Amino acid sequence: MTDGSESGPSNIEYHVLLAMAEGPLYGYAIKGAVEAESDGTLTPRAGSLYRVLARLMTRGLVREAEPSHAEEPHPGRTRRYYALTPEGRTTLAEAARRLKAVAALAEERLGAAGGP
Amino acid sequence: MRSFLTLLVRLFPLGFRRQFAPDIIEQIESDYELAARRGTLAVLLFSLSTSFDLVRGALAERWNPTWATARDPDTTGREVAMTMNEWTKDLRLALRALRRAPGFTAVTVITLGLAIGANAGIFSIVDTVLLEPLPYPASDRLVHIAASAPGTEFPDEFGVAAEFYVHYGEQSELLESVSTYNSFTSTLRVGDRTERVRMSFPTPSLFSTLGATPILGRLPTPEDEDRVAVISHAAWTSWFASDPDVIGQSYYISGTNRTVIGVMAPGFWFPREDVLLWVPSDVRAEDITPGRFGAPLVGRVAPDVTNEALADELTRLALQLPERFGGSAAYARLMERHRPVVRSMEEELLGDVRGPLRVLLGSVGIVLLIACGNVANLFIVRAEHRQRDLAVRRALGAGRRALIRSQMAEAVLIAGLAGALAVGLARVSLPLFIRAAPDDVPRLGEVGLGATTLLFTLGASLFAALACGLLPAIRASAPNLDRLREAGRGSTGRRHWARNGLVVGQTALALVLLIGSGLLVRSFWSLRNVDPGYDTADLFTFQIAPERSDLTDGPAWAAFHMDFAERIRALPGVASVGIVENLPLNEGVSSGRYLTEATAADVDGGALVYHTWAGEDYFATMGIEVRQGRAFQRSDHISDLGNVIVSRSAADLMWPGESPVGQRLKSRDLDQWETVVGVVEDVLQYGFRDDPQPMIYFPLVGQTPTQWALSSPAYVVKTPRAESIGPEIREIVREIAPMAPMYRMFTMEGLAADSMVRLSFTMLTLGIASLMALILGAIGLFGVLSYVVAERTQEIGLRMALGAEARRVQGMVVGQGARVVLLGVALGIAAALASTRILGNLLFGVEAIDAGTFVGMSATMLLVGLLASYLPARRASNVDPIQSLRGE
Repeated sequence: MTDGSESGPSNIEYHVLLAMAEGPLYGYAIKGAVEAESDGTLTPRAGSLYRVLARLMTRGLVREAEPSHAEEPHPGRTRRYYALTPEGRTTLAEAARRLKAVAALAEERLGAAGGP
Repeated sequence: MRSFLTLLVRLFPLGFRRQFAPDIIEQIESDYELAARRGTLAVLLFSLSTSFDLVRGALAERWNPTWATARDPDTTGREVAMTMNEWTKDLRLALRALRRAPGFTAVTVITLGLAIGANAGIFSIVDTVLLEPLPYPASDRLVHIAASAPGTEFPDEFGVAAEFYVHYGEQSELLESVSTYNSFTSTLRVGDRTERVRMSFPTPSLFSTLGATPILGRLPTPEDEDRVAVISHAAWTSWFASDPDVIGQSYYISGTNRTVIGVMAPGFWFPREDVLLWVPSDVRAEDITPGRFGAPLVGRVAPDVTNEALADELTRLALQLPERFGGSAAYARLMERHRPVVRSMEEELLGDVRGPLRVLLGSVGIVLLIACGNVANLFIVRAEHRQRDLAVRRALGAGRRALIRSQMAEAVLIAGLAGALAVGLARVSLPLFIRAAPDDVPRLGEVGLGATTLLFTLGASLFAALACGLLPAIRASAPNLDRLREAGRGSTGRRHWARNGLVVGQTALALVLLIGSGLLVRSFWSLRNVDPGYDTADLFTFQIAPERSDLTDGPAWAAFHMDFAERIRALPGVASVGIVENLPLNEGVSSGRYLTEATAADVDGGALVYHTWAGEDYFATMGIEVRQGRAFQRSDHISDLGNVIVSRSAADLMWPGESPVGQRLKSRDLDQWETVVGVVEDVLQYGFRDDPQPMIYFPLVGQTPTQWALSSPAYVVKTPRAESIGPEIREIVREIAPMAPMYRMFTMEGLAADSMVRLSFTMLTLGIASLMALILGAIGLFGVLSYVVAERTQEIGLRMALGAEARRVQGMVVGQGARVVLLGVALGIAAALASTRILGNLLFGVEAIDAGTFVGMSATMLLVGLLASYLPARRASNVDPIQSLRGE
């Protein structure tokens, strides 16, 4: 099966990692961040999102964490928060660097070809 | 639907669920809320895509786990996944097979879709109207309390009097709280807008009894007396533009200025949905004159109190009333006979509609069963065509379960498509249906395709899939391996038992519906043919409340109304104009005790007679026959002579065997004698089902200045332009009384139709259902016989080659059909005998077990059955012996 485990994160995995880069988040907030940061191109449904999360945790890129601030918006409902591990951070940075390089390459070629 | 989705989460492996289930459920719930705000379609799309996503995610997780700890020995999971996988495969195959059989697919999907759609529509109504609780907390502890007095001439049930409210409230140990109320239309004026709207006049305790709280302002207290009003949310939005500053403002409400103190929550209504505001006023024990019956009570009982226990207590309490409040000897005698009427508020508010709605739900359920029967039959035929194919698969080692699954897959697909079609049909037809429904059905405006209905549709579709597919699938899963040896021809009659059984069942069910709708049609005709004592054709009616401060005594009112009537009479096409205080079919009448010169000494007795006030050419306009004496003349109206007109049954009651004209009568409570100048025919005041009440007509206007009873009478206008004359009259009103609201505008024909709307609506719906049932039943029989004929072509050909006549062959086929139909008719009659009673009080002028209807409808069913058999029979007799034998 194509896990993409050796070849860097997939698009949705990248966005899930990205969502947690600023600090721990709970599940529904991750979904919101992914939707917003992908300009609405990714709208993960519940069944898919948590499998991505599970995969990232199994790979050691994400761990369960304490929330960054001791706020409990919904009393009576304990939420699980998720955060990047150091490895997760490295993976995200690595992926970002690669994306940036690829993007620069694209701009360069398009520019060279006299594109707009 | 939401709970269904959360149920799907359980498909995930246990370890995964332990970690993520709460988060997944939170996301589903939050997204569901968002979808729900965008409407039904969004909920449907969301539910579909999320179900798909959950099932796919769960299967993938079991197949290829992402969660490290998920690798627990959860073998059942793997099995489920495998089964699901096989189902997917079978469904894909079935989809391909159905695509190759578009005719079969279309017929089955449309048949089931119509039937499921009808069920979804009716269910959504039942769900909203009957199944949702009343909008009051712990509404199961709310009771309706009225009075009855068996063995007296009082009606079967009547409202109680104020002393009951006071005494029950103080003395009852089982009632936590009680309130009395009334509701009628009265004038509301806000700025320039003046209208007659429905208001309720309860005691201040009403809101605490119901457990209702306002969203704005406060609730009334006894100290408010009757100077305040509480408005409904609908009034707040439509009259006051949802302005919170309305609290504390004063408006002209029902005759005087009152201060708005509270706004109720949306969705709160009592006792009818169209009540716009409540004007509370308390009842003080010292002000009570006992025996003024008329208002119902609503009470909140303590937990675990039965209606019977409460009735016992209230019977005892009522016996104490004469001692505490005094009253006449007749009142004391009445209290000995008095029995309280106690029933749940839910039954009081919804009881009338429960019967018809259950009948409708039952009848569309039957249509679904019949439709399933037809589709099952088609599936059996389809499976029989595949006998060889299935036998091959079985011989090659396919398990029985696998064969059943592959057969069921088609049924599941068909039912799924039919369910989708049903939702579409229900969406389109529900608004039309609701428009046709009686508008006094509570909460009808809230009916829509909610999540519960979608879930119900899903359930109905699953049921249809099972009902249509299971029997054929099981039969097909045990294919006769001998079929492999045969050249795919011929069969024995033995295998037709299942299909004949289906047709017998369909026929029986269709006959039950036919008989039911036949009984309703007969009731409708009986009602149409009732002579109410007045005409309904070419009559326009309306009311106005003049709201003019210069009308302060009887003569002033008289002048106003006569001038107004004169103006209407001058309109082109108007034949005559009448005025009446309580218009039949639209308003109730009150009653009193009346004495004659012969019974004058009996100050406690007197005949219970109803009274109203009539003026101008009321009797001639309404076509009410004057049997003796004369109708009112203008001199009756402007003098204080005290002339009255009595109805036929009032005359019979008060002066049996004597001529009533010239006799005198008086109200037991007044000291004024009236002289009877005429006798008119009885009229049906409340509807065509009731007996007429004995009635006294007083002259409407021009009684003494201190005794006039005129507030907002109904006008009746005889004109061929009854449908269109309203605006011209409104112009006149604008001239003579600019502040006067004109309201309750109807034609008498419209009122008559409205009074029968519950019956005609049920009749129409049941009629459509039974027609569908009849057609589906006939198609079913036709299908079975056609198939039999096709199968027996060779046998028939052989018979004809051996000299059998065409007529005999036809007889043979028709006979086979007739046997099946006869059995179905016999079963149907038995079922109808047991079930037509539930039509109960919808029926009029016909017994629930009416021989004519039973025989007539059975004959219809039989005839249709024979017709459905005849077509295949004719085909059989046209079989060419040579052609058919050549097939050997």
